[in-house]
Amino acid sequence: MISSNQLRFSYSAQKKFSFPDIHCNDKETLLILGQSGKGKTTLLHLLALLLTPESGDIVIAGKSVRNLTPQEITTTRAQNIGIIYQRPHFVSSLSVMDNILLSNYLADRKEDRQKARHLAEQLGFADHLSKKTNQLSQGEQQRVSIARSLMNNPNIILADEPTSNLDDDNCQRVIGLLKKQSAQIGASLVVVTHDQRLKDEFSNQVFL
Amino acid sequence: MNLFKISIANLREKKLNSFLSALLLTLGIGMISLLLLLNKQLDEQFKRNLKGIDMVVGAKGSPLQVILSSIYQIDAPTGNIPLAEVNALRKNPFVKTVIPLSMGDNYQGFRILGTTPKYVEHFNAKLAEGHLYNASMEVTIGSKVARNSKLKVGDQFSGSHGLDSEGEKHEDKKYKVTGIFQPSGTVIDQLIVTRLSSVWDIHEHSDEKKVPMAAEVAHSENQKHVDPEPDEEGKDVTSALIQFRNPMGLMTIPRQINENTSMQAALPSIEINRLFSLLGVGIETLRTLALIIISIAGVSVFISLYNSLKDRKYEMALMLSMGATRTRLFLMLLIEGLSLAVIGFFAGIVASRVGLWVFSKSAEQDFHYSLGKFALLPEEIYLFFGALAIGVVAAALPSLGIYRLNISRTLAEE
Repeated sequence: MISSNQLRFSYSAQKKFSFPDIHCNDKETLLILGQSGKGKTTLLHLLALLLTPESGDIVIAGKSVRNLTPQEITTTRAQNIGIIYQRPHFVSSLSVMDNILLSNYLADRKEDRQKARHLAEQLGFADHLSKKTNQLSQGEQQRVSIARSLMNNPNIILADEPTSNLDDDNCQRVIGLLKKQSAQIGASLVVVTHDQRLKDEFSNQVFL
Repeated sequence: MNLFKISIANLREKKLNSFLSALLLTLGIGMISLLLLLNKQLDEQFKRNLKGIDMVVGAKGSPLQVILSSIYQIDAPTGNIPLAEVNALRKNPFVKTVIPLSMGDNYQGFRILGTTPKYVEHFNAKLAEGHLYNASMEVTIGSKVARNSKLKVGDQFSGSHGLDSEGEKHEDKKYKVTGIFQPSGTVIDQLIVTRLSSVWDIHEHSDEKKVPMAAEVAHSENQKHVDPEPDEEGKDVTSALIQFRNPMGLMTIPRQINENTSMQAALPSIEINRLFSLLGVGIETLRTLALIIISIAGVSVFISLYNSLKDRKYEMALMLSMGATRTRLFLMLLIEGLSLAVIGFFAGIVASRVGLWVFSKSAEQDFHYSLGKFALLPEEIYLFFGALAIGVVAAALPSLGIYRLNISRTLAEE
């Protein structure tokens, strides 16, 4: 579960954002639509605790994050939030498998190879586990980053433009997998995008 | 998964950069380590052979040459001196022992040294086989001579004139091997030791050939000498090693000899210090060069990490967003620098051993000296920590940027 309340953020005096409140229960999905420059990524970073809001509050899994120390924020993020970025990025020196396991390691959890392999099979890149990530296609990379975001059974999955670089087929496939996987682990799925193709996929929508 | 694994994967990802950094470290460490090894072993070799010899007398010429030829058997002798004058030194109350040496022939490049039994005593040489020579033309050979020339007890051989193996052979007279010394790590290992009289005997009949030689033998009645410390009138020797009874000898005798006799006195301690200070310039230059190479290696690690960090900024932000602490990533980068330092160190140590081995081969060929000690020196432990320090500093400087990385901006940039 994730919700926000009167979030404001400003990069400078001219560049101020105030965001509509959002709310997304466990097992629910939420689509945040907005054109470029509306602060989509800023909102996502606020929700992902990568940025600290000027004012307003965020509640993650029932707990306010307002007064957490940076260390607690890092832990909360690692334990509760899986993030999928617009352009899939990886640690380029590691294999696909190790990149997925990295989220276990960095969140100080036991490495679950079996789960990684299981996810890879479900997401359709089981053959590529020992390859380097840059040997994969964009669609495959995006699926790997979905697997990575799911490794710690997060409470919330945040996706930033997960489909904007994908063709229609891959777009449908990726969004379908996202919805299916987050439903399987009972997480809230929040997708931030300007991609109009996703409009019909989500019932809950917020416009920036 | 652990930090070490990620670090190594990162190093492997940038193979050429890592290779260059490690190679530079290897070169620098290898050079310093080789210098340490050579310095120590030359020093040991020189000291061991020098022990207990206070003064060397020889024909006038370069005192260093007298020392090198008489103690270390590496340079040519300066000429001959009359045995009578050498023996006159025995009467001096400050003089404890006088060991006359006579050389001029060799067998397969190993010098045949005519001397008195005191020489063998002085180096404390023990016999491995057979017995010590006791008649003229009998020899006892050093362990290295035995190994390389395959001479055995009872074998006979003829020496070649001069100090290199191409000299004319004394075919008419043959030496007989009566014993082989145990290896002692001293100059005696590479010598064929015999009586003074053997050297005189062998040149008795070749005199008419008028070949100039180091141990030119004066004409004299030729008899078998049983006296272990012969004192022939008119005979020459090449040089003599002198031991003093007390340091007072050092104050007076060298000057007396230089002023009043046809001989010159050379003091090993002074000459060897002079030699080392001459070598020292070269060693100092090499050491400076090695230090410069090591510094460049440090800069190379720095640049390579700095560049790769710029490329990997997004990766770092990503790992931070996945729960990594900045300190953890900083450690990861330190391990990259440290790994290079450790690889460079061990490769350098191996390289220096290979270098020593090559050097030893050529030294053995030219001088019959071997430098075969490959164990780790205590100084190399310090060198190890020095290498680690370079790795840490070179890695830490660029990696401090990790503490200033703005996660959100970096992730949003692309």
